[in-house]
Amino acid sequence: MKKITFKFVALLVAGTVIALSCGKGFLEKTPKGTLDVNALANKKGVESLLIGSYAVLDGFINGGGIFLGGWESSGTNWVYGSINGGDAHKGSDAGDQPDINPIEAFTPTATNNYFNLKWRIVYEGISRANNTLKVMAQATDISAADVTRITAEARFLRGHYHFEAKKMWNKVPYYDETFLKADDYNIPNDADIWPKIEGDLKFAYDNLPVTMNAKGRANKYAAGALYAKALMFQAKYAAAKTVLDDLYTNGKNAQGVKYQLLARFSDNFNADTKNSTESVFAVQYSVNDGSAADNGGWGEVLNFPYTGGPGTCCGFFQPSQDLVNSFQVDAVTGLPDPDTYNANEFKNDAGIPSDDNNPATVNDIFVPSTAAVDARLDWTVGRRGIPYLDWGKHPGNNWVRDQAYGGPYAAIKNTYYKSQERIKTDVSFWTSGITANNYTLIRFADVILWLAECEVEVGSLDKARQLVNEVRARAANPAGMVKDGAVNAANYIVGLYPVAAPQFANQAAARKAVRFERKLEMGMEGHRFFDLVRWGIAATELNRVLDYHGGVSHPTIKNKRTYLTAANFTANKNEYFPIPQSQIDLSASGGVPTLKQNPGY
Amino acid sequence: MKRKFRLLAIPARLFSLSVILLLFVFSATAQTQVSGTVKENNNPVVGATVEVKGTNVATITGPQGTFTITLPSGRTQLVISYVGLETQTVNVGDKTSVDVVMVPLNTTLNEVVVTGYTSQAKKDITGSVSVVKVSDLKSIPSANATGQLQGRVAGVTVTQDNRPGAESSVKIRGFSSFGDNAPLYIVDGIPVGGIGGLNPNDIESMQVLKDAAAASIYGARASNGVIIVTTKKGRTGGAKVSYNMYYGKADPGEGWDLLNSQEMADLTWLAYRNSGQAVPTAQYGTGTTPRLPDYILPSGKMEGDPAVNPSLYNLNLSDVNGSYLIMPSNKAGTNWYDEITHNAPIMNHNISLSGSADRSRYFMSFDYFDQEAIIINSFYRRYSLRVNTEFNVKKNIRIGENMQVRITEDNTVGNNGNNGEGTELGMAYRNQPIIPVYDIMGNFAGSRAPGLGNANNPVATRMRDKDDRNQSLNVFGNIYAEVDFLKHFTVRTSFGGQINYNNNFFFSHQTYENSENNTGNSYTENFSRFREWTWTNQLTYKNTFGQNHDVNILVGTEAVEGWGRNLGSSRANYFVESLDFWAINAGASNQQNNGSPFTPASLNSYFGKVDYAFKNKFLLSATVRRDGSSRFGPENRWGTFPAFSAGWRVTEGFLDGLNWLNDLKLRGSYGRMGNQRINPANAFDVFIGGLGSANYDINGTSNSTAQGFQQSFVGNPGGKWETNITQNYGFDAVMFGGKTEISFDYYRKKTEDLLFRLPALAAAGAGPATNPAFFNVASMTNKGIDFSVIQKLNLGGSNGIKLDAQLTFTTYNNEITELAEGIEYYDTRGSRIGNWIRNQAGHEMSSFFGYKVLGIFRDAAEVAAAPVQDEKAPGRFRYQDTNGDGTITPADRIFLGSPNPDFTYGLNLNAAYRNFDVSMFFYGSQGNEIMNYVKWWIDFFPSFQGAKSRDLLYNSWTTSKTDAKVPIAENSSNFSNNNAVNSYYLEDGSYFRMKNLTIGYTLPASVLSKARIDKFRIYVQGTNLFTATSYTGLDPETFGADDSFGIDEGLLRSTRQFLIGINVNF
Repeated sequence: MKKITFKFVALLVAGTVIALSCGKGFLEKTPKGTLDVNALANKKGVESLLIGSYAVLDGFINGGGIFLGGWESSGTNWVYGSINGGDAHKGSDAGDQPDINPIEAFTPTATNNYFNLKWRIVYEGISRANNTLKVMAQATDISAADVTRITAEARFLRGHYHFEAKKMWNKVPYYDETFLKADDYNIPNDADIWPKIEGDLKFAYDNLPVTMNAKGRANKYAAGALYAKALMFQAKYAAAKTVLDDLYTNGKNAQGVKYQLLARFSDNFNADTKNSTESVFAVQYSVNDGSAADNGGWGEVLNFPYTGGPGTCCGFFQPSQDLVNSFQVDAVTGLPDPDTYNANEFKNDAGIPSDDNNPATVNDIFVPSTAAVDARLDWTVGRRGIPYLDWGKHPGNNWVRDQAYGGPYAAIKNTYYKSQERIKTDVSFWTSGITANNYTLIRFADVILWLAECEVEVGSLDKARQLVNEVRARAANPAGMVKDGAVNAANYIVGLYPVAAPQFANQAAARKAVRFERKLEMGMEGHRFFDLVRWGIAATELNRVLDYHGGVSHPTIKNKRTYLTAANFTANKNEYFPIPQSQIDLSASGGVPTLKQNPGY
Repeated sequence: MKRKFRLLAIPARLFSLSVILLLFVFSATAQTQVSGTVKENNNPVVGATVEVKGTNVATITGPQGTFTITLPSGRTQLVISYVGLETQTVNVGDKTSVDVVMVPLNTTLNEVVVTGYTSQAKKDITGSVSVVKVSDLKSIPSANATGQLQGRVAGVTVTQDNRPGAESSVKIRGFSSFGDNAPLYIVDGIPVGGIGGLNPNDIESMQVLKDAAAASIYGARASNGVIIVTTKKGRTGGAKVSYNMYYGKADPGEGWDLLNSQEMADLTWLAYRNSGQAVPTAQYGTGTTPRLPDYILPSGKMEGDPAVNPSLYNLNLSDVNGSYLIMPSNKAGTNWYDEITHNAPIMNHNISLSGSADRSRYFMSFDYFDQEAIIINSFYRRYSLRVNTEFNVKKNIRIGENMQVRITEDNTVGNNGNNGEGTELGMAYRNQPIIPVYDIMGNFAGSRAPGLGNANNPVATRMRDKDDRNQSLNVFGNIYAEVDFLKHFTVRTSFGGQINYNNNFFFSHQTYENSENNTGNSYTENFSRFREWTWTNQLTYKNTFGQNHDVNILVGTEAVEGWGRNLGSSRANYFVESLDFWAINAGASNQQNNGSPFTPASLNSYFGKVDYAFKNKFLLSATVRRDGSSRFGPENRWGTFPAFSAGWRVTEGFLDGLNWLNDLKLRGSYGRMGNQRINPANAFDVFIGGLGSANYDINGTSNSTAQGFQQSFVGNPGGKWETNITQNYGFDAVMFGGKTEISFDYYRKKTEDLLFRLPALAAAGAGPATNPAFFNVASMTNKGIDFSVIQKLNLGGSNGIKLDAQLTFTTYNNEITELAEGIEYYDTRGSRIGNWIRNQAGHEMSSFFGYKVLGIFRDAAEVAAAPVQDEKAPGRFRYQDTNGDGTITPADRIFLGSPNPDFTYGLNLNAAYRNFDVSMFFYGSQGNEIMNYVKWWIDFFPSFQGAKSRDLLYNSWTTSKTDAKVPIAENSSNFSNNNAVNSYYLEDGSYFRMKNLTIGYTLPASVLSKARIDKFRIYVQGTNLFTATSYTGLDPETFGADDSFGIDEGLLRSTRQFLIGINVNF
């Protein structure tokens, strides 16, 4: 017995000793499924970090335990640029995405989560671009040319993300790759960061090659375009004109093909014809790529007609009556009138039930207007009785979630064709509204119209007229108009401004004409609000539009937004959004926030 | 001599330890043999333990209650113990034969309970330990012992998750952490993540270690308290079979008080008109008052309309949009709550076999548990098999094992969880009553009918999801050996752990009946596995010096390591949706493949404990544990956790004169406990690839991406142990001859270096801003009292009514004292209107934060006089201008309340009269508040076009009802109506609930003995028979994460349930 006892005790003691000597190795556990910086400090790793920096352009990331952004932070800026610009209403129903309601009514507060998500996404983009540069500094196998190119691409992206922050909030902090530790990031937002943004974009413009190895990369001219845009935002028209002239004359896309307007306006909004000669820089959307829909048009997934049409969800982003009215043209000249377009409410089906869609009793009780309109209207706005891409005619109320609340119209530029369903849309999502229909951040039409603006500002009014006509001529292409069968679906007329047109007789008139052209060409593309602010006319324009929509100045309009009746744009406040309260709170040091709130909030 | 030599052969480390221990060893010179019998009420007690006091020399009484034992030299006292009987200490003197008479246990004082690594008589415990009365626990029928704990233990707060099989939230003495406050569960010495998978019928005993003195032996993992579970061992004697079963049904009760179809139509027109908007045209006609249509799709049609001719009906799943569906209206109104609920059966069968054979003891049990949720087509099933055996290899060597194999199956995967707008319960308060369950052809009907919101048909969801499964296989247990040697020493080693396999699969069906349809189908299947082992070695030394000094010493080592993997895949576009085709391979297009190993985690520990008692009167105890964890960087990897406690049994020789006070022990303790529940990779900076987060279609292909990388985590290599410093003061009293027992504790817990995910500015990147690393920056305090009272009564002599009552009372008072430098708060529980909860220094965990509603604006004059407030108008909320600056801004938000109760209490009453037994259990929670988020959906017209409350139509503001309870019904959503978190949703959630009433009848022995049955009891039981509360939602018990609970968005409720059960022993 004693022997057995001894054996047991010895065994246990031995076990204890083993347990004790497990020692260091036993407690050394490295993370699984991840990489450390040493594994990435080489050409392949840095190139992939650069790809990661592009991946935030769409405003949404999902992976590695991080689900960040979405429609709140979409790269398309459909809320901040288009809804705030008066192009559209939130739409859908009153209570869905209620955070947009105060944004639309110009009563946003700093605690609104939309701003925090937009802020976080753009700063994540900045962080990734800077990480690319930081890690590259440790790599030894990258050629000088590649170092320059990667630096330029990363700085282009860093410039773009800072640009987004700048136009949203004006006073924002700027970060480059010298910020290393978490503590370093707490810096004030008291400086104007335009010089830094210009520095990044100019570096990219000066150093990037023209032809890139992938369609989606920023090349020299994409960088130039964004650089010029930054100059436009500072009203540095002469400087912008130099860059834009270069682009207009020499500009090529990343495939090395010369920039050119597409023959058909609508091909800019079609996944089959993306990355075209008109695409200066686009956010690349892909679907069915193994990511379960995370790389498609996530930010716009809510912005489809409601029930029955494409996407099935959720009836947001409904074009406004003001935008629709803008497309009304003179039946003879085919030209718009920026001063009187709201005198007449363009015919709409507000308050009219849909046809019952019964094949036996087709008897549409609503006939669309036959008045003359710019052909771009029906590629910008889905409206009743007009074919909605290849989905058949928009049926009116049945595709609208709450017509009395959001109006009768539907967005269309972000949509997909029925023939593309499950091919250019993702099958993994609850809706089919995740598309491969790129968001083109800068189109060549942008470049032309910016140049037209510059020409106006430097006094070359006829050059401006010609540039505007270039854009209008494309819109006037009969082959590019919405057809109902073989004929035009509506009375489309797009006229050109003749020589000595009164609209270009003086600088003020020309300015108005160019700006209005931008409204028509770029409607619903996320630019309008920022344009109005940079032109310094946001308060007058938006209060005029709010009055119209709220029925204040035009009490008899049918398509009225009663929730906007009391809304008002406050000058010197609403030009910029409030800096997210949570970021201000996180910036506290010794009880005092480092980030300062914008005026008026 | 020989022994000494052997000891020298032992490696140096243990040798030095042994030398210290040897100092206590008395040399042996002579031995005496003693024999005797043990009897109770003239019946032999078989299997009683006879132990020489202060040694590990022990034996067990034989069939006639006889024993023989050898007394080592200098030893004259025997300790005789048996479950349910009072432990007796007998002075043998120089006798060679003793007869011991045992008496039934009158108090729980002498009960020996398993604490950390050892067991102790309750009367000698100086830490704060609650002993759970396991038999009471089982009176609540549940698959999960965590829910059964509610109200049973002072100091433990339980919030139930009412999904079948789900683990409830268990907190011991408040919060110690912002994340996981679940206690450490130790089952048969092995740490487990939870006891949800443990068959409650197998539990022999359960102890709750509440303060540092009791728990700090578990060092780094003890901070949240420890629950020690021991499973049943074989009983000495012949094979005994026990069979227990019950079967019952749960009644789902009534749902929310919602409007019927006509009332919804009236409300709709009221709201649009209040907003100056044209009334919607789709459904209710164009007259001056709304009329209900006969058909809702095609919308607003009446009988006889050609559009509703059934021959037009066409459902084509490959072209859902082109389908022509016809849905009738349900004019009476569909009660969606009733449609998705049913009387849910619950069933349990448990059979066990227990006994002993030559030198071995065995316990086996098989259990089958099957419960359906009150939600249709939703169930949880569990099969578990346990085999516990122990062998006396030699007189002083025991080898044994405990093992459970468990298979579970449920179909709650693919559901949207509990408490959310997307759940079936959420759809039950959202879907409009005019929508029928089925259309004219018996297919599903839904919100595809225009103007009726965007809820899904929840019946359709449950029907479609009925074959989704979540399946798991778990093997859990340990094998151990114990050796007694050198009279005073016992060495024990135990190796155990668990292996978990989980597989779930679900089909996401195409839908056609809703406004927001699922446009395609897909199938997902996931596998995961996890393993963890624990190896514990310990040495105990037990001695009594003289007659007055009792010493117990424990030293040990422990190593724990765990790791796992998971894999998941999904494909889409299935040709058919039938069950036979549910295979990843069968899908036409790939969706995603995911899988990653978990970062392993390990722990290496040394621990020791010394207990000393002087004359049974003064008790001292000290423990220390040193833990090393892989979760921390090398510089701070090791932590030390000491604790001390002392007790004074006042009644021993001091208050002898007080014959009503049988025992009074004063206790005090102080110690430190740790917490290491952080991401195992917390110390590292890592980058990841990510298909959806870092990859990008740089080539413009539309359907593929190039690889990208992103930084996903910025680590904190300097992270270290969180320390919880606990003081505990209490007493245990036994009075009136054991009829009354009181245990009282007051505690203060201070958590320092609290591990907090330090939020970073967005500029630091999404990794550190979304998943920040843990830093030791925060602190928190908890204080409170917990006490329990047991009262026994015997009315009318030995055949009269026996009553016993137990009251438990629990409070915790939590305060976050610091988060981090510069970080005042963090918000949680996001919703459609923002975060409900703010966790802030100076406040309790999970506090509600928002605008204070002063009332509803009565008229324009009141509006004009009020401070500036966005969208203020008559009928809307008037908010409090807290800072008095004349404008309502976010700075005016205040802390509105918290879900933490002021106190909770449980009252258990057991009564026995002749062959009848009755037990009743009441539980109450006082002062817990609730944010009734369901009200956002049903009390506000613009909170989606869903079903609405009767309050909204009948008690909302109108020009003629300015003193209204509910704001104006309007079709506009803004800051002054439904778009802010405010005190409108706040309700008192205090409640008092009768959780259990059981009436049992045991057949008389005279009847049973003929059938050779030892016991046959039959009982009927009702649970949750009544709840007294002023809360207007379905259930005032709000389950949720510890830093974000108290929000009711449609929680699965506690239901009234009736069952019948049988207990048979033979």
